[in-house]
Amino acid sequence: MEVLDYIWLGVQAVFLGPEAFSVLGLPISITILMVLAGFLVGIMVGATPGLAGPVAMAISLPILISAFGYSEDALLPVLGFLIGVMKGATIGGAVPAILFNTPGTPDAYMTTLDGYPMTQRGQAKKALRIAHFSSASGDTFSDVVLIVCAPFLAIIVEAYLDLPEKTALFILSLSFIAAVIGGSPAKGLISTGLGLLAVYIGTGEDFYPRLSFGTEQLASGFPIASAVLGVLVIGAVFKGLEELWLEKRTSGNIAVVQDSGDQRLHVGDIKRLFPFIARSAFVGTAIGALPGIGSTLAATLGYTLGKSRHKKNKEDSDPNFGEGAPEGIAATEAANSSVSGANLIPVLSLGIPGNAAAVFLILAAESIGGFNPGPAVFKFTVDEVNPELVIVFGLFTTMFIANGLNWTIGGIFMRSMGIMIRIPKHILLPIVLLLALTAIYVQETNMAAIGFTLAFGVLGYFMRTLAISPLPFVIAFILGDKLEQSARQAFAATGGDPFFLFTSPVALVFMLLSVGVIIYATRKPKANS
Amino acid sequence: MRKDSHSNLILGLSCVVFALLVLFLWIPLDVETGFVEKVRRKYIIGDGMAPAVAAIFLLIGGLGLVIFERRNADQPAISKAALKFIGAALALLFVSFAIMRYTGPLAVSATNFLTNDVTEYRLLRDTVPWKYLGYALGGTILIAGLITMIEGKITRKGLIIAVLAVLVMILIYDLPFEDLLLPPNGDV
Repeated sequence: MEVLDYIWLGVQAVFLGPEAFSVLGLPISITILMVLAGFLVGIMVGATPGLAGPVAMAISLPILISAFGYSEDALLPVLGFLIGVMKGATIGGAVPAILFNTPGTPDAYMTTLDGYPMTQRGQAKKALRIAHFSSASGDTFSDVVLIVCAPFLAIIVEAYLDLPEKTALFILSLSFIAAVIGGSPAKGLISTGLGLLAVYIGTGEDFYPRLSFGTEQLASGFPIASAVLGVLVIGAVFKGLEELWLEKRTSGNIAVVQDSGDQRLHVGDIKRLFPFIARSAFVGTAIGALPGIGSTLAATLGYTLGKSRHKKNKEDSDPNFGEGAPEGIAATEAANSSVSGANLIPVLSLGIPGNAAAVFLILAAESIGGFNPGPAVFKFTVDEVNPELVIVFGLFTTMFIANGLNWTIGGIFMRSMGIMIRIPKHILLPIVLLLALTAIYVQETNMAAIGFTLAFGVLGYFMRTLAISPLPFVIAFILGDKLEQSARQAFAATGGDPFFLFTSPVALVFMLLSVGVIIYATRKPKANS
Repeated sequence: MRKDSHSNLILGLSCVVFALLVLFLWIPLDVETGFVEKVRRKYIIGDGMAPAVAAIFLLIGGLGLVIFERRNADQPAISKAALKFIGAALALLFVSFAIMRYTGPLAVSATNFLTNDVTEYRLLRDTVPWKYLGYALGGTILIAGLITMIEGKITRKGLIIAVLAVLVMILIYDLPFEDLLLPPNGDV
């Protein structure tokens, strides 16, 4: 099997996989249909303030698993749907930001700064076209980088990292995520510690399930879906409801501005915007490749860099950034969209999720089975087919299908989604709460799972109230088991060497970096205060 | 958010105390193997090591808050209003799920009483209309209750939305799939 054979098998797995229906004798694969469905759902969810891609992923996952089962054939349709949601939600977030000054997703906040002033000037459709073009460009660039980089990174990891180094890499990832997510490294460490502690309850190798207080309920540990959905989704719903409850505000009438002037996007516009898009796409991709930093920082950095360039090059009659500059929308949307593809680099090459969407991809893969993201999936075996590698190339194919949909129908569908802003949050959030809890129940089929999910939801709510990011918790919960297994094997393989994390130079560098990144991040708030 | 809040200090100290309790009380009392154990003359990592690492993360984070971030300007704290909100929301959720859990069995008991039958809910949990009773009533109370909590008054609109939302959820989760069971039918 050559590399090209694997690529071809991946493409075939998508296009010639299980058939949904046929048009004029041409079979339409279920995977393509699921990417399309996910993409459209993603745009709708992204365009709805108060919802985000991970919410749609959480609610749809048990339905998808029930519909497709636990066979290998289920992997590509389910993961394809989730990838579609991830990409759709990114462009959908720009719609309410531009039309109503309300970002649909947090990373679309910077889009409001220039998008809404353009709407007020009657240039709403043009602003949406710019957002779509920039977003699709950044996303495509990011996917190309993912496809080129992930296999090489995985091969390097497999070739040069042994068990102690991999253990040290897990510790470095957790430290890095704790240090960079949110404004406080100390709170990031607390979030990580809580996530690790939660995953270690009721597990272990001994007959007695550790930390279970001798109870049956804790003896099997917490279901991963309860912990992830509870902290990420239910916690966010509680926080959103609390804000509404405190403010007691209802959505007022939305002022409608009539469109005026030229709304089309011309080649001249694209030429003018291209340097902003390109620069932001690089920034977003670089940030996306690092686990945990996320698209909000990418959007902020892309916008800031674009602003300084615009200041130097703009003509006097052009609007400044923040006053309705098309370049501002382009810089922001290209940056936040280019995070999504690159975010899968650590997922596929290292098995380390970098953001909430990646967490759900790993959750889906673990629930279905037969695909364990990590360096081992990139083994280009010659004598026999490595099915996981075929799935990876299938995933890359679904990403390009989603990109194709983005370029073709994404813009039209996105521009029709302005209506989603009219759904009041205080009606939407209780419905999302019951949907998410029902999703948990149908997956776990016991009321205790709902109890655990609500308990994790309360934890997520208090974490948000205290400005502790819940993402390190979730990532630690997912990586905790891998970290322990890797450490056990490394300890055994080194003959019980207690310093196994410090004997090899690579592991030592990773451990020093783990401490260094925390110290570096801790200095920042101290200086600020 | 109050500038004179000491929430970082309180949170930091709480984490330090909790981490020490985990390290010196919970792990020794509730984990059978230690940090390292000897099995067949070889040392292997015991079940106590991983939770200890988790506790160390908590300890370092707590100390970081106490030492470096206790004077930070922006320290959001848990207000009484927040506690009141989450208490009310959890009470509502508890009542909703209790109704969801017991409506079906109670309805079957009532029918048994009227018809002198001895059927168990467990046997009817995947049949119409029994399987929908608890979910429909509990779910409607949950959604309508939360909408009422936010709006501050019971509205017909809130109730209709709740009923419709629950119907849509039954359409999504139950009708297309034979193997899915709505709450509470999986473990009654």
